[in-house]
Amino acid sequence: MAGAPTIKVQATDGQAVRRATKRSFVGRLLVGVTVLFLTVFVVLPVVNVFSQALSNGVGAYVDTFYAPAPNPDAKPTLYERLKLSAERGRVERTWSSIRLSCGVAAIVVPLNIVFGLAAAWAITKFRFKGRVLLVTMIDLPFSVSPVIAGLVFVLLFGRGGIFGDWATNLEWSDPTSLTWQGFTGHWWPLAFARTYDGIIFTPLAIVLATIFVTFPFVARSLIPLMDVQGSEEELAAISLGASGWRTFCTVTLANIKWGLLYGAILCTARAFGEFGAVSVVSGHIDSNDTMPLRVEKLWNDYDMQAAFSVATLLAGLAVVTLIVKSVVEWKTSRTQAAEPPEAGELR
Amino acid sequence: MSIEVRGISKSYGASQALKDVSLKVKSGELVALLGPSGSGKTTLLRIIAGIEDADPGSGKVLFDDVDVSSTDAGKRRIGFVFQHYALFKQMSVFENIAFGLRSKPWRERPSNGAIRAKVEELLTLVQLQNFAQRYPNQLSGGQRQRVALARALAVEPRVLLLDEPFGALDATVRRELRRWLRKLHDTIKVTTIFVTHDQEEALEVADRIAVMNNAKIEQIGSPEEVYEKPANPFVYAFLGNYNLFHGRHDDTPRGQGSGAVTFVRPHDIEILRENPDGSAIAARVTHIGFAGAAVNVELVRHDDQQSIDAELSNQAYRALSLKQDDEVFIRLRNSHSFYEDYAI
Repeated sequence: MAGAPTIKVQATDGQAVRRATKRSFVGRLLVGVTVLFLTVFVVLPVVNVFSQALSNGVGAYVDTFYAPAPNPDAKPTLYERLKLSAERGRVERTWSSIRLSCGVAAIVVPLNIVFGLAAAWAITKFRFKGRVLLVTMIDLPFSVSPVIAGLVFVLLFGRGGIFGDWATNLEWSDPTSLTWQGFTGHWWPLAFARTYDGIIFTPLAIVLATIFVTFPFVARSLIPLMDVQGSEEELAAISLGASGWRTFCTVTLANIKWGLLYGAILCTARAFGEFGAVSVVSGHIDSNDTMPLRVEKLWNDYDMQAAFSVATLLAGLAVVTLIVKSVVEWKTSRTQAAEPPEAGELR
Repeated sequence: MSIEVRGISKSYGASQALKDVSLKVKSGELVALLGPSGSGKTTLLRIIAGIEDADPGSGKVLFDDVDVSSTDAGKRRIGFVFQHYALFKQMSVFENIAFGLRSKPWRERPSNGAIRAKVEELLTLVQLQNFAQRYPNQLSGGQRQRVALARALAVEPRVLLLDEPFGALDATVRRELRRWLRKLHDTIKVTTIFVTHDQEEALEVADRIAVMNNAKIEQIGSPEEVYEKPANPFVYAFLGNYNLFHGRHDDTPRGQGSGAVTFVRPHDIEILRENPDGSAIAARVTHIGFAGAAVNVELVRHDDQQSIDAELSNQAYRALSLKQDDEVFIRLRNSHSFYEDYAI
């Protein structure tokens, strides 16, 4: 039909509508402000960390983590030898802080996954007295300054603390110092090479403080998710004769796995990054340094470039966390997206 | 398998959900628990399933005359279907249906081949043969509910319990599915109890209906019984639209305060142009509304200005050629009188 007006069919899906919306002045202003804010407070500092770390060249950056090998032909002077051993000590302390941070995270994250799961489960699947109080308690580490959290542990387990007598006399073996000592003279071939006295100013205190500070992440990311899901799927599984464990593994865990991973990622990032609480309980002993504490010490020694070099590791971890987090979020939204049903005989 | 509930009570804190409820369901029967929300029907179903416990010491649930009150839900061999399907989102339709079979202790667990055969048989039963590899979020509401039903049937339950199975579906799908459920029940003959608040659904599908209100069963009977011979005003009122007159019908519902109430269904009100024997009530037409096959007529009585709803067939309506503000007479074809001490 000539002359018939063509009718444009308006797309009805959300994206098209959003695209069609006129970009208003307020919208542009808000986007501009947000981008500016992020640039000044997030992007620039992160870029600065990397630029400072590389300010003396890649060689200096590498030297932060690897002491230069001594030249076997040259006869070093006394000054050179002292300088070299100081350099080695510095590198060794940096590596020790990296190991400690990884070790603490390796202990704290699995524990908090279990604690967080248990707490979220209790809060969302059961109705009991004091439930609201428990939710508030879980949020406590978020609202309390980490330094106070560290101080609480000192007041609990330190000399003169509530459990001070017991804690200062506690002797515990460092599980990472497990060594093979052979069978000669022993019936058991493994032994701990190192033991610690007390809790405060040892790695154990660092673990405790980190557990406290990172506790809410897993529980917080699970509670809203499990609240929405309710317990009908679990009831269905139970009514089909599944055991409690099978119900948990195949139904509950499958439903919350992405939320759990999300919480675990945030928990890991914080476990590596925690400064305040750890600083109080570490007692500023070199062997108790985690990566953030090491950064502070290098900074206080006016070794800016080395401080920034260690900081790049933390910044890199943050970037990796962000990437994994985005992947998880993308995955979560993908599993929830629905495809339109096909018309069947019965709908 | 027969089910018997004996003197079950259940309270949540201060509110009582069930008060000393007893119910017998014969083997192979399809029984509807019908009632308004908050009447305790879902609680009763959940107690039969073993998902919830009755108040300690209050009563028993018997399956085939065996007390199962302290048996876990998983060991009662029931099939439970939830209003919102409760399908396992992370599993395909196939895995959903196979779940119950795979959950059996390994000594009783069928081989993979047997599971596959069983699931395929069930998929055919619920007419979803081509949907085995789909995920629940790729199905429509009606399809999901049929998967939920197949999943419940996979473990060959002794009793099938459905909690508002069609409550979340739209009207057309709901009507299709309830006919299908009736047919399915006639094929597999498993004792079934389903909860609904839709009286039409209960009347159409069930062999017997237990009408519940305020934590109690008001009446149990076949659809005809509860509809034609309601035990009390609540049952009458809940099963359909009604007009309420004060006074008994025998001495024509005229005077107030004679100690009785009379209920009349709208379709039992006859509209006449003339008053043949002087017994009909004079009224005026205030509104006429079309509702497809029927015509709803609203009238107002002349004597006490009470409004009355009548339902006419299209044919009767045309024969009368009613218009708004017409003066007519009404007569009650069929009515129920209850004495005033009943309150609804």
